[in-house]
Amino acid sequence: MTTCPKCRAETATPLCCSACGALVAPERAPTPFEVFGLEPGLTVDGAALKRRLIELSRRMHPDFFATGGDELRELAERNTAELNRAYEVLANELERADWLVRALGGPDERTERALPQAFLMEVLEWNESLEEARRSPASPTARRALESLAAALAKERERQVAHLRAALVPTPERGSPRLAEARKELNALRYVERTLGEIRALQLEASTAQS
Amino acid sequence: MGFLQLNVLNQIEPLAAVGIDLGTTNSLVAVWENGRPKVVHPEGDNGYVPSAVYFPADGAPIVGKEARERAVFDPEHTIFSVKRFMGRGVTDVAEDLKGVPFKAHSGKNGVIEFDVRGRKLTPQEISALILEKCGEVAARATGGRALQKAVITVPAYFDDAQRQATRDAARLAGIEVLRIVNEPTAASLAYGLDQKKQGHVAVYDLGGGTFDVSILAIEDGVFRVLSTNGDTHLGGDDFDRCLVGAALTELSHSVDPRKLDDPAFRQALRLAAEKCKIELSTYPEAEMHIQIPDSNVQWRRRFTRREFEVLTKVLVERTLHSCRRALADAKLEPSQIDEVVLVGGVTRMPAVRAAVQQFFGREPHTKLNPDEVVALGAAVQAHVLSGGTRDVLLMDVTPLSLGLETVGGAVAKVILRNSTIPCQATEGFTTYVDNQTAIDFNVLQGERELAADCRSLGRFRLSGIPPMPAGLARVAVRFHIDANGLLTVTAKEQSTGVTARIEVQPQNGLSDADVQRMLANAYEHAKDDFAARRAAELVTEIGTMLRATEKGLAEAKPQLDRETILDIEDAMKNARNACEGRDARELQRARDAFEKATLPLAAVLMDNFAKKALTGKVIGEV
Repeated sequence: MTTCPKCRAETATPLCCSACGALVAPERAPTPFEVFGLEPGLTVDGAALKRRLIELSRRMHPDFFATGGDELRELAERNTAELNRAYEVLANELERADWLVRALGGPDERTERALPQAFLMEVLEWNESLEEARRSPASPTARRALESLAAALAKERERQVAHLRAALVPTPERGSPRLAEARKELNALRYVERTLGEIRALQLEASTAQS
Repeated sequence: MGFLQLNVLNQIEPLAAVGIDLGTTNSLVAVWENGRPKVVHPEGDNGYVPSAVYFPADGAPIVGKEARERAVFDPEHTIFSVKRFMGRGVTDVAEDLKGVPFKAHSGKNGVIEFDVRGRKLTPQEISALILEKCGEVAARATGGRALQKAVITVPAYFDDAQRQATRDAARLAGIEVLRIVNEPTAASLAYGLDQKKQGHVAVYDLGGGTFDVSILAIEDGVFRVLSTNGDTHLGGDDFDRCLVGAALTELSHSVDPRKLDDPAFRQALRLAAEKCKIELSTYPEAEMHIQIPDSNVQWRRRFTRREFEVLTKVLVERTLHSCRRALADAKLEPSQIDEVVLVGGVTRMPAVRAAVQQFFGREPHTKLNPDEVVALGAAVQAHVLSGGTRDVLLMDVTPLSLGLETVGGAVAKVILRNSTIPCQATEGFTTYVDNQTAIDFNVLQGERELAADCRSLGRFRLSGIPPMPAGLARVAVRFHIDANGLLTVTAKEQSTGVTARIEVQPQNGLSDADVQRMLANAYEHAKDDFAARRAAELVTEIGTMLRATEKGLAEAKPQLDRETILDIEDAMKNARNACEGRDARELQRARDAFEKATLPLAAVLMDNFAKKALTGKVIGEV
């Protein structure tokens, strides 16, 4: 809880007062969870988060402070940038998990590069069929291969997200070994996400070439 | 200038903040009035300012409709489609430069410079002239009210350099930019307020030179952009070029190719193609006709709509590819789009409408004028930014990812495309050799994985890092994109507090000093232009005086003393000489001296006239 410097009310977000609506300059950069007035944790209600984003934007957006002088306008600009950044982190489960692991003192992706053991064998197989599809993404064989690869990856993604949730819900203690487990799952998930992204791009190219 | 003076004299209130659509082909001003946005136009004029500037041999540049007309007769001195060159370098626009009759080269910091009659002008300065003309039209429409503050629109897919170039153009025109707004987003505002609709909207904006598609969620006055995609080098100009290309191929069989390279011919061909394209939107067939240079032969060719559609199919397909990517980024299927809004003149083409309809599986919304909807939306945003309402909120995104080059030439993305703006993000870096005291950063914009494939927005160096083992320094690089979509980067070494900050001054962009120098130059030029006009007026006036004096002397010489006659003859000679030189101050002096010397003559002539009148002669006989 932060105290509003203007009306002294307790306010749920450190960026603007929930009572009088005044913009507040935070003393230190707030965490994404603090910005939205939430307890840190992997589980977030997406629809509620979006409603809150719009509610807070309606209070702090620089569009509404354009005539209020440079200082106020810049504060609105900074606070809204902070709000939007916090939303980017909280709206995406993997970003949220990544933030939690760091915040709880867990390893980052540079210190813990390992992947879950079972995953490695599959990666080799996937890479091979992806390599083939890259050569001629519009051919019928490649299209089918991409489709089944996408399906396999989506299933793998579900499995990994379940592991990630098991590692981070309930929220672990600082320094818990579950954080390293979560990091490994995140490393694998990053690979899966990137590959799925590339498959989507290849499929887009193919559908354009087709029509 | 005239309007400014008028304002000072009459204390006319300046215009409320306006919206300006600074387009590739046309520019347009709109203002919020009586609860809705409306186009600003003088009586009997649609208010469209063709984005063309003509440079006459002497006198001030001519902008707008007149410039567009001159382009046919004097193509080398008429600059058009300047938006394609904003914030770009000559290598980026090599194709465009091949297609235009005016000359350009690379100037300071890679900014393009057009060579017109010995003057070097950047795209920013040309755009400033167009913006000034918009101000003039607005003043004419509103009884002399001055345009001081504006929201200016840019294609959503404009990058940082192109946005900054637009902002600099406005500064050069003396306009305070309240906000730079993306064109499809502006269009959605006008649409959303007009239709009071909610849901997912796709704005398909195919303008004179650029293509954008934006996917928005509209709910309770909140216009939230989910994704945007596009091509800043795809528009109506390219559709014209398809016809020009077809014509040139056919002509090359019968006409000397050197004749076909003639700039005036090329310009006429381009205009004929544009006319043909527009007619084909209404009629199933249209004729393109053009005079072959140095001959009396008219080349005529009928194009069917089908033929034109085949020629331009690949262009339409490129726009659909952008639509696919935008939908994928918004995580939506075409069937989840509740309405498709068409913007830009090219969307009048039946083939474009049909392609869009087929792609989204629904008939597009066409009730709004596709040429005006962007300016109208910009006026809505200007109203919001002037504190007029809190009922409308625009949440826009950055079109392209931003990042830094890492060791090995890869890109570390710091802010991803389609992030809501304003936004900020911080990325940690460290030293990679022992006792490294400085780190060089290369700021990149684009989606590719390698730095070499992205656009470099600028480089900067953080120095003064105390010597320590590799990997120990903790450098935080903070990116901030403001509500205009413009980027600022700051770097800070956290153990020592050493900071470096760059206002990214992009490659192909102007520095503050450049803008100041151009402002001073423009003032000088305005003075020169004014002087040239004054000189021309004086030459005419002296000519009239000379003829009158010769006639007067023939009549009244016997009545004048010898000294007066010599004075007059002397003054006449001086005046004639001054007319050769065309120096305004010299002319003014000669004219004044001439007038003074002829005073006795004038007195005699007046006297004679009075006497004749008294003796009963009618005036007609004098």
